Amino acid sequence: MGSKTDVWQGTLALMILKTLETMGPQHGYGIARRIEQTSGHKLLVNYGTLYPALLKLEQEGYIKSAWGVSDNNRKAKFYQLTKAGRKQVEREAREWNETTAILAKFLSPDEV
Amino acid sequence: MTSLRAALLRLCGLFPGARRDRELSEEIQSHLQKHIDHNQRAGMPLGEARRQAFLAFGGVEQTKERYRDRRGVPAFDVLRQDVRYALRTFGRNPGFAAVVVVTLALAIGVNALAFGVVNAVIFRPLPIDHPERVVFVQPNVESEVSHSFPNYRDLRDRNVTFEGLFGYRMSPMDVEVNGDPRRAWGYLATGNYFDVLGVRPAIGRFFHEADDQKPGAAPFAVLSHDFWMAQFHGDPSIAGTIIRINRLPYTVIGVAPASFVGTEVFFRPRLWVPMMMQAQIEVGNPWLENRSTFNLMVAGRLKAGVSPVQATANVNVVAGSLAREYPESNKGLSFRLTKPGLLGDSLRSPVQAFTVGLLALAALVLLIACANLASTLAARGADRAREIAIRLSIGASRGRIIRQLLTETLMLSSAAGAAGYLIAYVASAALSTWQLPIDLPTRFDIHPDTFVFLFTFAASIAAGLIFGLAPARQTSTVDANATLKSLDGATGRQRNRWPLRDVLVAVQVALCFVLVAACLLSLRGLQQTLTMPVGFEPKGVSMVGFQLGLGGYDRSRGMAFQQRALEAVNRLPGVDHAAFSNSLPLNINQSSTEVFPEIPSNQRTSRGRAVVPYAVSPGFFDTLGIPIRRGRAIEARDIFGAPRVAVVNETFARQILRTSDAVGRRFRFEPNAPPIEVIGVIGDGKYRSLTEDPQPAVFTAILQRYDSETTLVVRASVPEDQMVAQIRGALTQLDPALPLHSAGSLEHMLALPRLPNRAAATALSAFGLLAIILAATGIHGVVAYAVARRRREIGIRVAIGATASDVLRLVVGRMAALVAAGAIAGLGLAILLGPLLTQVVYLASPREPVVLAAVGALVLLVGLIACWAPAVRSLRIEPVIALRQE
Repeated sequence: MGSKTDVWQGTLALMILKTLETMGPQHGYGIARRIEQTSGHKLLVNYGTLYPALLKLEQEGYIKSAWGVSDNNRKAKFYQLTKAGRKQVEREAREWNETTAILAKFLSPDEV
Repeated sequence: MTSLRAALLRLCGLFPGARRDRELSEEIQSHLQKHIDHNQRAGMPLGEARRQAFLAFGGVEQTKERYRDRRGVPAFDVLRQDVRYALRTFGRNPGFAAVVVVTLALAIGVNALAFGVVNAVIFRPLPIDHPERVVFVQPNVESEVSHSFPNYRDLRDRNVTFEGLFGYRMSPMDVEVNGDPRRAWGYLATGNYFDVLGVRPAIGRFFHEADDQKPGAAPFAVLSHDFWMAQFHGDPSIAGTIIRINRLPYTVIGVAPASFVGTEVFFRPRLWVPMMMQAQIEVGNPWLENRSTFNLMVAGRLKAGVSPVQATANVNVVAGSLAREYPESNKGLSFRLTKPGLLGDSLRSPVQAFTVGLLALAALVLLIACANLASTLAARGADRAREIAIRLSIGASRGRIIRQLLTETLMLSSAAGAAGYLIAYVASAALSTWQLPIDLPTRFDIHPDTFVFLFTFAASIAAGLIFGLAPARQTSTVDANATLKSLDGATGRQRNRWPLRDVLVAVQVALCFVLVAACLLSLRGLQQTLTMPVGFEPKGVSMVGFQLGLGGYDRSRGMAFQQRALEAVNRLPGVDHAAFSNSLPLNINQSSTEVFPEIPSNQRTSRGRAVVPYAVSPGFFDTLGIPIRRGRAIEARDIFGAPRVAVVNETFARQILRTSDAVGRRFRFEPNAPPIEVIGVIGDGKYRSLTEDPQPAVFTAILQRYDSETTLVVRASVPEDQMVAQIRGALTQLDPALPLHSAGSLEHMLALPRLPNRAAATALSAFGLLAIILAATGIHGVVAYAVARRRREIGIRVAIGATASDVLRLVVGRMAALVAAGAIAGLGLAILLGPLLTQVVYLASPREPVVLAAVGALVLLVGLIACWAPAVRSLRIEPVIALRQE
């Protein structure tokens, strides 16, 4: 459980950014659902943890937010990527891929 | 960039935002609503849909809290809470806060003031361009600071390490503005003075090397800013104006900027005149071409890249060749380089020792104040044990509690620091405008600057930490369980130990002992310097000075005038004795000259010995009350044409003539000058300062060796101020245009040499008084607290038959032990710190048993008085009332 949370904390920002890149402007609940679906319901963490992360990204200037109306006519706050955010997704995705590739080499059984 | 941006936004988030909070609530609400809708669509009943949505979200309030933490900076939020809480605490008990702030403000103010003095006289550089490259060239001889002009000229021309080397000398001048002659002190300065220092004129121009070439041919004057303002009302067209100095016309060519007041910290010149005018300024005493007259201060700016070590080596090479070329005046000549501003290091080391000693004692006052507040706070902390126990039990960490308590003390100490700085600011402004009661324009500019501000700030933070940390730690170790269960829980664990507040009382008493001892010892030292034999009897003697050369008198008219003045003064009613001389012992203008044995026996003794010279008229010794030990005094028969004679003091006889009976011995003022016969020996006295070792002094006959600088001294049975007025009247009748100076009593003149001790004693008395008050309030606070705390216990004891003396023993006994322990520790400390004290006050001896015993008695007495009121209160405790109260 602990390790899972650590992964969640460390990669949540990238997941949010990637989600916004694929889906366009989205509200908090939508982002949470999408992350859960994409993970194949393997990441089961409180949705509440999403909001401080969103605030952090907004403070860093990677996303911006505005109030709008969602599909079922309810008021919701929509988040979308900024230009800096797009670059950040690219950069972080690349770094993540490199890291996982390296780790994969360590962990793959046919190595040795 | 992004983290900076985030930090800024977070800082903005510090300000409470109800709107932002509402927005967050709405967002969360909208999130939950969507989840509920979703769940319902998936077929859940409303209740279950809601439950699942809330479960998935996690704690709503926790999320908000984390969100807010992210929005602001948590440390600041906590600080804001702590500050608000502290303010509420102070509000509940404003008397306590006020006492703390006032106590600490006084102690910090004293420190800021003392540091301001150290800063101004020791640290602050001269207001010139790159002051760190300017050094003072000092002869390697004890208490010698000056050079002869020919030596300076050679040193200037032969060294290769100085960009420029300049000379200067303080000199009194008669400056006539609008027909009104006034004595004004200024600098004679070589032509390169301003250029080497890199000072730029406020108005007009300064004189340069080229202006200062031929003796007597540079009649220029540069005015100081305040002299220009005071005498010429800041006239912007002053340049080109002709003023008269010593009755000769000089052209004012410029005004120095307000920030530049010469090259000595304590001296504020009124004007600068080129060195080549020396003979016209110091009338009757030309010394520019005399290699044996050491009258010139020399300083210079090192060339870029030259280290002081290299420069020292270089000037000493020059000194070596000067010693070989002019052995009779330069034998053994060598130089060292020192920091300029306090006449090299001749004034620097005593001034430094004095001011730093003062600062150390001020720090002691601050320590006492801290101990005082710490003990009060520790007592109060015990009272707050319940409050803290409650906070601990509802989840506050101990770190958080300590932080809260420290926030409180730091707030108090910062407020005290601000007040203390204000006190120091006002006090130093008052001190800076203060002028010594003498003609010499002194400068004592101790206005606090940024440095002083930073010091005060650091001192108040340190004080807050010192007096807050120990009690805070003690308080935060409160056992919440025990405290909440019993009414008296906090102290339960400590009953058998010495609580911190008790130890602090002993510390206070010890420090107080040291300060009071320092204060009393210095006062004794002062009393001794006031009554110490100075070699003459100043009481009843009046003096008036005038410079006949400035008054336009030549030698023969001058001598006639001196005689007429003496006769006129002798005719005044009440006059017992009257005489005149060129200078007086302990007056500010002491000179030095060399004497040589009659027959130069060998190379070793052919070098002259420095002595303090005076030229005096008949009756001088009677007037000043100087005892004649052997032979006779200077008499009316010792005139031009008669054999040259002199009277020497005992030290001269012993050290230079190597005999106790010097009458009949002879010596010379120059190796080849005619010999002078000693006709009498007088008792030793003080000549340059009260603290000097015995100095050889020689008194020649002014009737054989005319000096236009004249000081009339009169011993009379009438009060001095009346006498001075009468002398002035008599002299004005003889010559209404002659400017008079230094008029006053001899006691008045002695105020200057006595000043350091007087200042030290004043400061120390203030410190001592402060220390006593602090110790008394500290002891009182702790005893009063103990009595209040133990009301119930005392009530029970009285109810079961304790007598008054039992109660007193209970209340006062412990305190008496503490005070006694503190006093013993203080005695040890005082003896240990004694050497520091002797630096501050001349003649203060750290081991005077009578004084130390008196201090001990005083401290015990103060302790007793401080205990008195609470002890009496404890006797009045009515068991019935005391027991019903809880």
